[in-house]
Amino acid sequence: MKKTLQLVLLLLVISLTCQVDKTQAIDLHKASWDEIVQAADGQTVDWYMWGGFPAVNTYVNTYVAARLKEKYNITLRQVPVKDIAEVVSKLVIEKQAGKTSGGNVDLMWINGENFRTCKRHDLLFGPFADKLPNQRFVDWSKPSVYNDFGTPVEGMESPWGSAQMVMIYDTARTPEPPGSMAQLIDWIRQHPGKFAYPAPPDFTGSVFVRHVFYHYSEDVNLWQGEYTQKQFEKAASATYRLLTELKPALWRQGTTYPESPVRMNTLFADGEIDFSFSYHQAEASRNIQDGLFPPTVRSFVFDQGTIANTHFVAIPYNAADTAAAMVTANFLLSAEAQMEKAKPDVWGDFPALDITRLPRQQQQQFIDLPRGPATLSNQELQAHQLPEPPSEILIQLEKGWEQHVLKGR
Amino acid sequence: MFAPVTEDAARTRTIETAHLLLLLAPALLIILLLFGGGLLLGSLQALGSQPFTEKSIFTFAHFIAVLTDPDFATSFAMTMYIATVSTLVAVLASVALAISLVRCAAANRILHFFLQIPLTVPHLVIAISLLFLLAPTGILSRLCSFLGMTAGAASFPLLINDTYAIGILLTYIWKEIPFITFMILAVLKNSGPELDDAGRTLRANAWQRFYHITLPLIAPSLGAAGFIVFAFTFGAFEVPYLLGRTYPMVLPVWAYKNYADIDLMARPEGIAIGLIIAAIVICSLLLSQGLMQIARRQREYPG
Repeated sequence: MKKTLQLVLLLLVISLTCQVDKTQAIDLHKASWDEIVQAADGQTVDWYMWGGFPAVNTYVNTYVAARLKEKYNITLRQVPVKDIAEVVSKLVIEKQAGKTSGGNVDLMWINGENFRTCKRHDLLFGPFADKLPNQRFVDWSKPSVYNDFGTPVEGMESPWGSAQMVMIYDTARTPEPPGSMAQLIDWIRQHPGKFAYPAPPDFTGSVFVRHVFYHYSEDVNLWQGEYTQKQFEKAASATYRLLTELKPALWRQGTTYPESPVRMNTLFADGEIDFSFSYHQAEASRNIQDGLFPPTVRSFVFDQGTIANTHFVAIPYNAADTAAAMVTANFLLSAEAQMEKAKPDVWGDFPALDITRLPRQQQQQFIDLPRGPATLSNQELQAHQLPEPPSEILIQLEKGWEQHVLKGR
Repeated sequence: MFAPVTEDAARTRTIETAHLLLLLAPALLIILLLFGGGLLLGSLQALGSQPFTEKSIFTFAHFIAVLTDPDFATSFAMTMYIATVSTLVAVLASVALAISLVRCAAANRILHFFLQIPLTVPHLVIAISLLFLLAPTGILSRLCSFLGMTAGAASFPLLINDTYAIGILLTYIWKEIPFITFMILAVLKNSGPELDDAGRTLRANAWQRFYHITLPLIAPSLGAAGFIVFAFTFGAFEVPYLLGRTYPMVLPVWAYKNYADIDLMARPEGIAIGLIIAAIVICSLLLSQGLMQIARRQREYPG
């Protein structure tokens, strides 16, 4: 009896060390892709992500999980969290405590501020994005891809999808919508009370303020590189001045603001205001489908473009199943997975790929995807994308808006 | 002869208390752990402790920053205004309602049922309903416009997100009247109509009977209920968040804004505001408890 127990324990130890050996046998930074796929065989990926979007959860847990198992024998376990920042702060602690391997988190859905924190504290494995075969379909020269809210990506995360701000209007009420920010500002002045934006720090309201800020920036790309505080102040104060001056022409004379994009959509549907906007390019179509918007509603982007951001996946420095996480990131970028994700009834997320780089037949599939009546074509959207400014600018603008525009100080 | 009895009574009482504590233990434990623990952690953070970093310094800076912020006075006044006005109106309406309810005993059941509806509906639902009802493009406005009473959405008075917080006040008043009414109704029913009848035989008029008999009877319970309502409306977040103006904002909304700020350094200030709210709410509840004690004593030894 005792002997059997010893034997079992011995076997257990051996099998455990073998497992450790298997993952550490190859240096993932140098290994070929085939070797990585081989090492990933049988591993389990714990993917921590914001779990507040049912469509995403379903896509991940059914389609992605099934295909990964089938193709690579990888088990995918989605771990929904309320805010990925919680996971990031957990990693900060693990780093401080010196836990360098065997972490719980293999993959994270991340961008912006959280990515910046991770990069600053060396919490990520990589660079790995350039190792993934499907990277060849990504247009890395696009500012919204090589910079994540102003933080250079440098292969430390792999793009998964993207979203773009679109303006929403009703053709029945506004047959000729303004085509640029300058025209929109004129329109607001000429139609008092018919425009509103959610109060920042609401995500959607905040992106509108950034568009005004871009309007007063000589070169939008300036913010992606070196800029001086003086340059920022100049564009920012012009932004606050305009938004303060516009107040009497806003909905309710700017005495109050919609508290959320949902409320803005209601005001728009009720005819109190004539425009809405969304950081999800397919929102108008979905709202028509749900009967919230009349069928005459359409969306447009400004001639100078609208802000788009890319969302990414990243691998923590102490992930236990790094190889499988890389294979998962690569699979997420495949034309097949991106296509499924782009279907309006699945998620309707924008592909992270540059579809012109795909084989002709797959290109056509993306073009043929049903889009809904109010959604612009991918080409039109992609031709009008502006990058997000760095997170510091975003924070300063939100604070500045509150001080100068809301409180009038 | 008497001594053993009191001793016995005292013993039974201690046993009863112990028994009661035992029964309450699970609930108390949860409240202490979640509420007390949260309060403790919050206090620590508001006083400068930052978990998981080494930069913990004991400081009142966050409280000072909040109290010296020019917004504090406006936010405090706004919160006080909403809590006081909604409580006072609800108290007055409840007294009238409770007295008339006790009189017309026959219709009691149906009325009781109607009164219970607001008790079960969450504040959030009522806030949203009022939004649909009273907004410039709401049902009421459309009805007025349809009947030719107003020229359209623009000429309908502002009742939501307005300067006087009318939407918020209406939500609270609608919601709290039944609560206070039930509290007073319990007292009125317990006391029975005898005192009132006695007053009547002494030829006291309705106002005299109310002022000298009913009011003293219900005053402690009324006060207790009022302070509970005040405490709730002072600390509630969702109704002013939905129906209030973006600025100035009430204290709970301000606390939330700071706590949810993308800048983590704003968090301690959010917690400090939360603690200030908690202190005021606790004071109000203590006052309510004091009045409850008086009400209980009054019931045990009337007169």
